[in-house]
Amino acid sequence: MKPAVITGMAVRTALATDLAGFTEALRAGRSGITRLPSAQAGQSAVAARLTIPDLPAELDALPGLVPGRHARAVRTAARAPMGVRTALLTALAAWQQAGLDTDGPPPERIGLVVAGHNLTAGYAESLYPRLRRGRSHVPARAALHLLDSDHLGVLSEVLGITGEGCTVGGASASGNVGIITAARLLALDAVDACLVVGACAELSELERQALFNLGAMADGRAREDPAEVCRPFDAERTGFVLGQGCGALVLESTESVRRRGARPLARLAGYGIGLDGNSQADPDRHGESAVMTAALRTAGLEPEQVGYVNAHGTASELGDRTEAEALRAVFGERPDGPWINATKALTGHTLHAAGVIEAVATVLQMRAGFVHPNVNLYRPVDAGLRFAGRSAQHAAIRYALSNGFGFGGIETSILLAGC
Amino acid sequence: MDEQLLFETVRRHIVAVVPEIDPAEVTPEVSMADLGCNSIDRAEVVTLVLEDLGIDVPVPEFHGLPHIGALVELLRAHRP
Repeated sequence: MKPAVITGMAVRTALATDLAGFTEALRAGRSGITRLPSAQAGQSAVAARLTIPDLPAELDALPGLVPGRHARAVRTAARAPMGVRTALLTALAAWQQAGLDTDGPPPERIGLVVAGHNLTAGYAESLYPRLRRGRSHVPARAALHLLDSDHLGVLSEVLGITGEGCTVGGASASGNVGIITAARLLALDAVDACLVVGACAELSELERQALFNLGAMADGRAREDPAEVCRPFDAERTGFVLGQGCGALVLESTESVRRRGARPLARLAGYGIGLDGNSQADPDRHGESAVMTAALRTAGLEPEQVGYVNAHGTASELGDRTEAEALRAVFGERPDGPWINATKALTGHTLHAAGVIEAVATVLQMRAGFVHPNVNLYRPVDAGLRFAGRSAQHAAIRYALSNGFGFGGIETSILLAGC
Repeated sequence: MDEQLLFETVRRHIVAVVPEIDPAEVTPEVSMADLGCNSIDRAEVVTLVLEDLGIDVPVPEFHGLPHIGALVELLRAHRP
């Protein structure tokens, strides 16, 4: 495939809201998962929560904002739902790292892909009491804020993006679907650069409860230390832990990077995306191995060249076992197989944002030359795979895969290459 | 007194919705449009004020008012 160059990255997770802090948290294997004091029986007792951003204060602290952008951001987003405010701050950080204000492509050649769907149910839920008290008390602007596409409007207005834009969805694979969509916009020459934002869903109590009742989410009460609850690929895993987070990437064509002499952070060298033909939440190892194989094929690589896999690894009983089988099908059983770890043990499962956050985590590890620990992995589901240990390890990684699988059989894998 | 309280409530919400508006510019004689509020801002202000005051009146009744004084007057008429 025509490679896409990553020139800007940012994350906001329970671990950190800047790249340096995120890198060190990954290296240390620090968990952002904490206990929820108000959780009742029959609800998950743990989560990795994001601090709700105070937009004006955070903008004040952001160096190098172009004139007028502070006021525009406050005007369009200060009263927006938490997810949009989070997306804006994350996007701004990635945008600035890419240096798009200085010598970036013209606005109509910059695209915006917001990865995620059903982002506003928690916001909607918060409005119901107002509706019940008085029909005229429902804030008029909610008509805009209730739409996922509010992200597109706000971000494009604040950043001055006028190229192609859309939201894309794929449940927990949304982040990777967004990255792949951006790569295709670049490959089609529809844009010269594309901002991808893995959005932070504001879940409703209803959605959280349904996930819990489905059995997908860990209860978390059996362990005293909340950091030990999320155990991807461990024999004692009990389900995922909800995480709030947002990630942003700037993908750019090689021509645009060359023209302006931008600093490449990594390249998206390949991807695989497909459906299992399965409406259920149960994963399929054939679908998972197929997208990893497709990612290798589009990048023109052999499995032996991959040094690291950032697994989807949610700590789901069946999900992790299935991903382990798929990994074994692709990479075989070799002592020098790729390192494997699961970032969700630390960040929690950030749902739609996970693919973008984990792409950033992958690039940070590649650039810093380590793989982050699997802090809760004592008895691996498959002893033949090369899981990272319980402390960070040095690793020179040239090529890495990052997997993202979603309910409804949505399978994705992206291949990242160092620069 | 009541009118002043209603006016201050309106002013507070106008400035909250459009932060660049100087509160001193908000007077009964000007319209929200004159101050730079677009149609969404204006509808937003009305819903926020109605909630704040505990008045539940269909929002379209507040459309097309010539200035903020008229808005305050209408609020006063609906005040329980």
